[in-house]
Amino acid sequence: MGCGPVRLGRHELTLEPRQAPPAGYTVLTAVAAIVAALALASVLFLSADASPAAAYRAIFSYAFLNPHGLAATVHRSIYLLFCTYAFLVPLRAGLWNIGLPGQVYAGGLAAFAVPLLLWREPPGAPAPAVVIALMIAAAAAAGAAAGGIAGVLRARFQVNEILVTMMLNSILFWVVAYMVKEGGPFMGATAEGESFTLPAPLRAPLWWGVPFTAAAALGAAALLDLLFARAALGYRIRAFGESPAAARYGGVNPAATSLLVFLLGGAFAGLAGYHNFAAIPGVYKIPGNYGYYGDLGFYGMISALIARGSALGAVPIAFLFGGLSLGARFAQGALRLPFGVDYALLGLLMMTFIGSHVLQAFRVVWRRRAAAAPEAVVGGLPGA
Amino acid sequence: MEVVLAARGITKRFPGVLALDRVDLEVPGGEIHAVLGQNGAGKTTLMNVLFGLVQPDEGALFLHGRRVEFRSPHDALTHGIGMVHQTRRLVAAHTVLENIVLGHPRVRGVLSLRDARVEVAALCRRYGVGLDLGARVWQLSEGERQWVEILKALYRGARVLILDEPTSVLTPPEAAALLAGLQAMVRGEGVTALLVTHKLPTVMSACDRVTVLRAGRVVGRLRTAEATEDLLVRYMVGRDVAPGPAGPSGAPGRRVLEVEDLACLGDRGVAALRGVSFALREGEILGIAGVAGNGQEELAQVLAGLRPATAGRVRLDGRDITRLPPVARWALGVGYIPAERTEVASIGAFSLVDNTALTYHFDPAYVRRGLLDDAGLARLTRRIIDGFDVKVPHPYARARQLSGGNLQKMILGRVLSRAPRVLIAHLPTQGLDVEATAFVRAQLREAAAGGAAVVLISEDLDEIVALGDWVAPIYEGRFVAWLGREQADPETVGAMMAGRRREWAAAR
Repeated sequence: MGCGPVRLGRHELTLEPRQAPPAGYTVLTAVAAIVAALALASVLFLSADASPAAAYRAIFSYAFLNPHGLAATVHRSIYLLFCTYAFLVPLRAGLWNIGLPGQVYAGGLAAFAVPLLLWREPPGAPAPAVVIALMIAAAAAAGAAAGGIAGVLRARFQVNEILVTMMLNSILFWVVAYMVKEGGPFMGATAEGESFTLPAPLRAPLWWGVPFTAAAALGAAALLDLLFARAALGYRIRAFGESPAAARYGGVNPAATSLLVFLLGGAFAGLAGYHNFAAIPGVYKIPGNYGYYGDLGFYGMISALIARGSALGAVPIAFLFGGLSLGARFAQGALRLPFGVDYALLGLLMMTFIGSHVLQAFRVVWRRRAAAAPEAVVGGLPGA
Repeated sequence: MEVVLAARGITKRFPGVLALDRVDLEVPGGEIHAVLGQNGAGKTTLMNVLFGLVQPDEGALFLHGRRVEFRSPHDALTHGIGMVHQTRRLVAAHTVLENIVLGHPRVRGVLSLRDARVEVAALCRRYGVGLDLGARVWQLSEGERQWVEILKALYRGARVLILDEPTSVLTPPEAAALLAGLQAMVRGEGVTALLVTHKLPTVMSACDRVTVLRAGRVVGRLRTAEATEDLLVRYMVGRDVAPGPAGPSGAPGRRVLEVEDLACLGDRGVAALRGVSFALREGEILGIAGVAGNGQEELAQVLAGLRPATAGRVRLDGRDITRLPPVARWALGVGYIPAERTEVASIGAFSLVDNTALTYHFDPAYVRRGLLDDAGLARLTRRIIDGFDVKVPHPYARARQLSGGNLQKMILGRVLSRAPRVLIAHLPTQGLDVEATAFVRAQLREAAAGGAAVVLISEDLDEIVALGDWVAPIYEGRFVAWLGREQADPETVGAMMAGRRREWAAAR
């Protein structure tokens, strides 16, 4: 281990590797991280002459108690969850998918391309269920294609996937700008810099006010955890992620694995794009501020990292991030807080979560130093 | 003779392990003192205590009879104790002189290489070391690099040198030269050397005294003049080790592996293997002897499918497998034990069960409907642990918790559990202690007796000669000769490894 003991008089303080964390400890450290982040963020509110208690009441009551706020939190956390999977799958193979925004845009555009090409007003309308299914498939395929570019370049030519996905983000951002703002075919009739609105029959079915994508997101979490815990394919991806050389030795195909994880990850991001633009009640279009949602996708990265690659473990984290990002925005307006409070709060939360991982892997030991050594023995040792 | 360095009652505990248990050590001046022990006996911990890298929980160190306390290597260095680590810690792109001077307390601010060159050159003359001070370290052989490390310690004023497994990466002639140089230094200049090793020949030929450690305790202190190798083995192991069965490994059967004119490139894109041909039958062991970097690693990788062949053909039981990927070769019965146990042959963060899956994730017997058969893999892992005497608390322990010998047994067991037709073993006993080495060799013999064709690649001539039905010294990507068991004496093979070709060497 890297750090030596800190000595204080007769005592010393060390970090020692923890053999097996006690049960429930993970939850405990997560709660501690949240409390620490909120405590640190109080400084922000105090500096803006707002009472932290009032600020937190506003944030939490809007995000988790107010019916409108809660619905928005659920919708947003579904979006974040799909982004989480999009990052998590390549991460298990040791690859970094920084292309979440780009793949989300690709999925959104593809989803809207389907009605653009197929939809006719009745009479002569195709069955809405078929069109919706095609929209979902197109979104997943477009996201997979966007991710696949990085996957192919990685698999064939060892090009760094971080650079490729980041550059694709920029390219796809401007493609969307052209399509919805600058005279492209997706422009809405009002010319307000947003896409056309989805016809009512093509809106995602709601179950108790929540789009069906919620079930898809939760089902995908269970399937992903099963994939990585039990399946041979998941094993190959994990082995490749831990040690590419060992995986190759064991017969795992590195090129196929790199490509596969990016196709799968991209498809999840594409679904995130479908959900965000075509399934959330009250939206049903690619809005002018689509870039904000693209950037929000990066919280999927954070959720995956905090959940340590567990998809089900990411569900409460994405819910929390979704809620806090909305609640803090609301509080910002209601209490006239400075701009960017929501980002600051999420940033602090990120740091305390990462910090809590140290406490999970190590324990702090405080103990008395060893007693003084015995005096020199006079005389030789046997055999010397 | 005065005791220069002494340790009294040194105890060191790590979580769950008693690494050193009241160890006493006395190193008289002007001698080479060996600390001998198996892997995990506590040798390295003891050296780290002497060099200030690890603080003992109990006990004390004495230098010339005076109590000293080393809180860091810096303290040890200022007291004249230098350490030469097992892995080199030199800057490859810098010259020998720059490396020697680097880190010296005098060169904090301004570096006067001219003065330093005079001093280091004098040091070389005094200790009889022939090194080109202007050469870049990457150009040097492993043996020369070791001398750079030794000179570096001496230049800092070390009078006691601790050398950790100094001969482990050297060729036999380099090792002999190193030990002779150390002896001259110790006899002529009054330097004291402490050698940490598990190699008996090194101890017997070069050292004056030996302290034997077993499981963290001192179990023997002897003068080497009064010791025998057998006696030292008994101390190290705590009992007698039966010598492996000698003689041919059984009647050879059908041809299993045929290699024709095989060639490939190395990592840097230059030809590493330049046309190798041979055939092996069931039950035969081929020993490929060579100094690292002569194409033997590439040969192993081409045979395992991890490196493409640029020319030639490989046949397994008559079937051409030259273009098959590794997974197909595993399935067909090619087993590979790479030299890199921790980087290639295992995944440290994975449990032993997950490590077993490394060569079973494609096997229909252990995959049902796309899901791995965890219970079956756990049973298989348990069988390997029991059958190969792996010391591990449970099959779900992480691979990185295993010592080198136990990990190698685990890897060997996993590869052999697939009952391979061809077994490629690259440096299978490197760094292992006497007991584990004997075990691995016996297993290789048993695999051959069971009908496998074994390709053993090693730098250890004794191992090659003891195990090989055929011996092929490899030099610059070609077999120098193809020798039968009776023609392969260590001297001949050693000369061929160094590139000396014999006219009578007959290829098969």
